[in-house]
Amino acid sequence: MSKFTDHLWQDLVREHGPTLAHTDRPDPGRAGGAGVLRRPRVLAGSTLGLASVGAALVLALSGSAAPPAFAITTNGDGSVLVNINRLQSLPAANHKLTAMGIHEQVTIYMATGPAAVSGAVTCTPGPGAGQPRPPVKVLVGTDGTEVIGSGQSGGNTGEGTFHLARCTVAPDTDTGPGTGNTGNTGNTGTG
Amino acid sequence: MSTETRELVKAMRERPVAARARSRGRLPSSPLEEFEQVYLRNVDVLMGYFARRCHDPQTVADLTSETFVRAVGGFAGFDPRRGSDRAWLFGIATRVFARYCEQSAGGKDAAARLGGYRPLDEDEIEELVERIDAERAGAALMRRCERLPAVERAAIELVDLEELTPKEAALALGVSRVAFRKRLSRARSRLRKEHHSDE
Repeated sequence: MSKFTDHLWQDLVREHGPTLAHTDRPDPGRAGGAGVLRRPRVLAGSTLGLASVGAALVLALSGSAAPPAFAITTNGDGSVLVNINRLQSLPAANHKLTAMGIHEQVTIYMATGPAAVSGAVTCTPGPGAGQPRPPVKVLVGTDGTEVIGSGQSGGNTGEGTFHLARCTVAPDTDTGPGTGNTGNTGNTGTG
Repeated sequence: MSTETRELVKAMRERPVAARARSRGRLPSSPLEEFEQVYLRNVDVLMGYFARRCHDPQTVADLTSETFVRAVGGFAGFDPRRGSDRAWLFGIATRVFARYCEQSAGGKDAAARLGGYRPLDEDEIEELVERIDAERAGAALMRRCERLPAVERAAIELVDLEELTPKEAALALGVSRVAFRKRLSRARSRLRKEHHSDE
C-alpha cells in the first residue's frame, strides 16, 4: 500500500473500527466470524406484515438470494440501526423495536430516484415527538437506493429506482406484545 | 467499547502492511477484517477513478476518504451475494463525486464540501500527483467521451477502464442490466463513429 492508503486505513480503523467490529455481516462465505467476535444484538425478521409506506408503495425489493427482511443493530454508542431489505417488513421491525424495549416507532418516506448520499438516514422526531432516545437510523437495502426491475415489484406498480427520503420516529403508544402496531406508520396488522 | 473490541481495533490498525497483504484472499475472521479486504481490493482503483476527474491531490484524497467513510456506514447492508464489493463501492463513489460537483457548482470551498479530512503530508502529495499523472491516458479517454451523455460515459468508464462486468456496472449505476447493455453499446458505437470521422 502507498503511504496515503496506509494512513487512510489507519484513520478508518481508529475512527470507525469499533463500529466495523460490531457490524453484522451475512454469514455465507465467512468462516469463524460469529465465534471470534462478540456479535451485536441483531434480530433478523422474516415476517411479511402489512405496509403502507410513503405514497403507498409496497415494494418487494430486489435480490434472489434474499437477505433478512430487516435487521436491527444496537451500536456501541447506543444508537439503533434499522436495516430494511423489504419495505413490507417495517411493521415487523417496529414490533421488534418494542420487543427490544425501544419504544420508538419508525415511519419512512420513499422517493423516486437514487439516493444523493449513500448510507443510513438519521430519523428526525415525528410530529409532536421529542428527540428519539436512543437515536435511530434507517438503511434501506444495501446503500440507501433500491432498484425494482420489471417483475420484481410483487405485482405492484412501484418499479424503478427509489431511495429513503426521510424517516421519523415517534414514541410507541402500544407497549403490549401482539396487540398490533398502532403507531404512526398507519399499519394495523400484527407483524 | 469492550476491551476485546479495543484490542482488535488496535491490532488491525497497527499490523504491518505485509500482514495485511497476506490477509487478501483468505476468509475473514471478523467484519473488520472483511472490510479491510474490501479496502485492499479497491482503494487503488477508486483513487484512480477520482484521479481521472480531479487534478488536485488533496481533493482526490478527500473523495477517496469520503467514499470509504460512507462505505463503513453502509457495510452492514452490503451483501456480497447481491453484487461485488467493487460494484458496491463504485455506486458510492459515483454519488460522492456527483455530490461534490453539485456543491462545487454551488460555490462551497473544498473544506466545506468534504468536511475537512486530514491534510496530506509531502510524501502523500507526491504519491497522489504521480497517480494523477498515471491516469492521464484514462483521463484523455474520458475527455473523448465528453460529448456522450453522462450515463453512457459512465458505462464506458466502468466497463472499459475499471473492468467491471456489465452486471456489476449496472448495479453500481442503479440501472437494469438490459438498460445498461443498451447504453454501453450505444456509447461504443458513438465513439467508433467519432473516431472514424476524426480520421
